[in-house]
Amino acid sequence: MVPEQRPGLVLPPLVVGVADIMRLRRELDALYEYLHQAALREIPADQLKLPKTSRILDELALANKINLLDRDQFERVATELERIQDTAPQIHISFSTDPSSAFVGKIVDWLRQNVHPGLLIQIGLQPTLAAGCLVRTTNKQFDLSLKQHFKAARPMLVKKLQEGLPA
Amino acid sequence: MTIWWLVLILAFIGATGIGFIWIAVSLGRVQGGGKRSLGQSIEEAAEDDVEHIFNDEFREELRNRGRLHFEKIIGENAMFLQQDLRLTTSQLNEYMKAEITQKLKEEFAKYEESIMDAKQLAIEAIEKTNTAIDEQRKALGEELQREVSEQKIHLIKHFEDNMADVINHYVLAAIGNQIDLTDQLEYILTELEANKAAIVEDISNGA
Repeated sequence: MVPEQRPGLVLPPLVVGVADIMRLRRELDALYEYLHQAALREIPADQLKLPKTSRILDELALANKINLLDRDQFERVATELERIQDTAPQIHISFSTDPSSAFVGKIVDWLRQNVHPGLLIQIGLQPTLAAGCLVRTTNKQFDLSLKQHFKAARPMLVKKLQEGLPA
Repeated sequence: MTIWWLVLILAFIGATGIGFIWIAVSLGRVQGGGKRSLGQSIEEAAEDDVEHIFNDEFREELRNRGRLHFEKIIGENAMFLQQDLRLTTSQLNEYMKAEITQKLKEEFAKYEESIMDAKQLAIEAIEKTNTAIDEQRKALGEELQREVSEQKIHLIKHFEDNMADVINHYVLAAIGNQIDLTDQLEYILTELEANKAAIVEDISNGA
């Protein structure tokens, strides 16, 4: 059973897969290390110059209304990210070409709204699909490609071919 | 009249006999004077007459006549022989012609019979060959028809089994580069919506 996603951490559409979670965790670790070093050096807050964070981290903080300089919130985010990396459900989606970020965002948004809010998606490439996609979950594979659509429509195609054949 | 005729004949015969007797007496008198007999005198007289009649000219004349007659006979015989020879040659030619014609007819008949036999054999052989060829052609046609049907069924089955792959490959090769993922978003979301329950169930029950 997949544990229910806690309502405290919302994944933005930019956070797609495990790689993004790992990247966020590395970035958070780096930020934590920077803040820790600053605390040890007792640098005044007005002189503290935060490192430039990535857009993903910004979106995550914005979506969850988190102040990364707050230690409690920071630690909660780190903990949640670790939990998500370990327990979040994952699916694999293959497309015929490399999808754009906006396209992936729409797909991720739809999946997290309709399937699971903490779903992680791994994007793959399969040029033989022509159109559509191939979704692979833990135990199943859903062929949503044009090829499968053609297979489903085979009786109609056979009927049309028979109609077109000479008597 | 008859008696008169008889007397006349007898008188003629008697006169003739008397005349011969007188001649004989006269001749005896001549020969008795030269100390020769009558017989010798008659022989000498006969020889003289013979010598007088059959002299050299007369003999030459007789020889010439005989030569001419012989030549005439020879010529006639040669002519007859030539005619016979011509006739024989003609008959021989006719005979040879008839014989040769007959032989040729017989040979031609035999030859024609042989030709007819050979022709009949050839016709029978050709008919047998044609029959065999027809049978083989029929068998080959049936075999070919069967293989074509099997191949057709196999191709149709293969096509039907791989129809989706074929069409997908065709679409991919034809317009694969022109299909934009953005244009497919609605289709993908529709398909995801159609399989939403199954995806949710598998994720919820996944290991």
